[in-house]
Amino acid sequence: MASREIVRYRSPLRSVLQGLSILFLIFFFVWTVLPLFIMVVSSFKDLLDAFQLPEPGDWGDLGVMFDFKPTGTHYVELFTEKHFGTYLRNSLIASLGSAAVSVSLGSMAAYALSRAEFRGKRDLLFWIISTRMAPVVAVMVPLYVIFRSSGLVGTLPGLILAYTTFNLPFAIWILKGFFDNVPYAIEEAAQCDGCTRWQAFRLIIPLVAPGLGAFIVLCVLFGWNDFLFATIIGSGGAKTLPVATAELVQPVKIQWGMIMAAGVVTTVPMMFLGLLIRRYLVAGLTMGAVRE
Amino acid sequence: MANIANIDVAGGVVRGVRTIDYVPEEFNHRPPRYYLLWLMLPAILLLAAISLYPLVWLVYMTLHEVQLAPGKSDVWAGIDNFSRLATDKKFIRGWLTLFKYSALCLSVEIGLGVLVAVILNNNRFEKILVTIFLMPMMMAPVVAGFLYMFLYNGTFGWYFWLLQSIGLLEGGSILGNRFWAMFAIVATDVWQWTPLIALITLAGLKRVPQDQLEAHMVDGAGPFRNFFSVALPNLYPFLLIAILLRFMDNFRFIDTILIMTGGGPANATKILPTYLFDVSFKFFELGRGAAIAFTLLLLTILLGLVLTKVFEDPTRKIRTEREH
Repeated sequence: MASREIVRYRSPLRSVLQGLSILFLIFFFVWTVLPLFIMVVSSFKDLLDAFQLPEPGDWGDLGVMFDFKPTGTHYVELFTEKHFGTYLRNSLIASLGSAAVSVSLGSMAAYALSRAEFRGKRDLLFWIISTRMAPVVAVMVPLYVIFRSSGLVGTLPGLILAYTTFNLPFAIWILKGFFDNVPYAIEEAAQCDGCTRWQAFRLIIPLVAPGLGAFIVLCVLFGWNDFLFATIIGSGGAKTLPVATAELVQPVKIQWGMIMAAGVVTTVPMMFLGLLIRRYLVAGLTMGAVRE
Repeated sequence: MANIANIDVAGGVVRGVRTIDYVPEEFNHRPPRYYLLWLMLPAILLLAAISLYPLVWLVYMTLHEVQLAPGKSDVWAGIDNFSRLATDKKFIRGWLTLFKYSALCLSVEIGLGVLVAVILNNNRFEKILVTIFLMPMMMAPVVAGFLYMFLYNGTFGWYFWLLQSIGLLEGGSILGNRFWAMFAIVATDVWQWTPLIALITLAGLKRVPQDQLEAHMVDGAGPFRNFFSVALPNLYPFLLIAILLRFMDNFRFIDTILIMTGGGPANATKILPTYLFDVSFKFFELGRGAAIAFTLLLLTILLGLVLTKVFEDPTRKIRTEREH
């Protein structure tokens, strides 16, 4: 490993670059955080306060943003009048259910795919990954017709199945990468000690457990954030949080306070989960192509 | 597993010896195929049921006029659904808009993302800043859409105010303007997904061989020269992955666009998947929708072929290069 200590001489160019890069970082930080900040702040404002804006070009009056009395009415209304408790439960069941199905079936298949050598394996893998990459709208056209004729539209099982269309191939593909890294010698040793093949498989599960956990979380995240499947296949009986949020838009007036509150309710749990699996995030979002 | 057996030895029989089924060739081989097949089967069957079976349906639907009303049966349409696409102006415009949208998103995201990554790399605050920057990625696209719709609002939106204050905007509305609407949805995508590009690039930067950088510096190269002739060539595979993935996601997810503009104003932001959504789930012309979906799937498969090629290369190639 080469040394990371590179002697850097202070040159005018370097100082200018350094200054510019700090400025850019500040800009990017504000650009990233400001919308989130406004969302949270607006969810605690009542209607009048939310509409307060300074005159165009009046930079001195920016303090208006903070000039309000915090109120929790939007949150209370969401959970009492708009039944967000039910939608929260629907979201949880649909995303957890799909994650459970995907990771349990997916880990078995991934293990088998990682250990087996057979003709057409590459084609099988390609089919799996292309299932995952298919545009959601395109998949939904035939799925909608099938689900309609089998009475799955508007039910939670239907939604779980719909989410599984993208979570299962994801789980198989990613977990295969994990099992590839577990040496077969461990299973051999276990079998020498008298384990059956199934027991040997169970034995190496703890070795991939952290990854397995992270990808359960990612599957939950994908399901939780989905809107298209939920609005077409889940509409009616299995409304999830994103759909319920979209329905707060009414023709007469858009209830922005409540929408922002709903946004906070939908986003905050996922942000915590995201931080929890920070290490696996890039691998997960790039289908395992890039590891940190 | 251990068994109890009686073994013949010279001079008699030894009873009750513990033995194991020792089949030598099995130890040095992978598990038998039938066993792996059984492990694979549930997932493969389920996946086939929810992806291959619908695909068959999709092909069937492209060849029929699908009737949703109960009791009516589908009418054979031949290739009508496809041939009508050739003269469908909205379909062709949908493709063009999709490419325009993706090109705008990708160029801004790659530019900003690489810049952020280069500045963050080995920065004192790298860890904390990366953690903060990845927050938008966790947000549901619908929520992001609403949030930006709120910020762009003509009467109380802060971004609208900002654009007005710096003199870019006279008045009117952002999402209702044919010119601005496209940039508005691009900005939302950029806000949400630039961090991903930055993270991928950052992962790539960590793998740039330090000795090459040093050698280059000893030879008198400045920071710019160093970036363009050492770091960037090492980054290409990572950027390629980033571009392919983001391009795919651009037409996989249309949640934000559906929320913010619904494809309007005057179809200025109607990228193909949005048009497909309208045809299938607003007008319920499922046969035509299926034909459009089919063209989209073809592009996906094409991109998928490229992607799997890339997948096999970059990280592994770099790793093996370093090992040797």
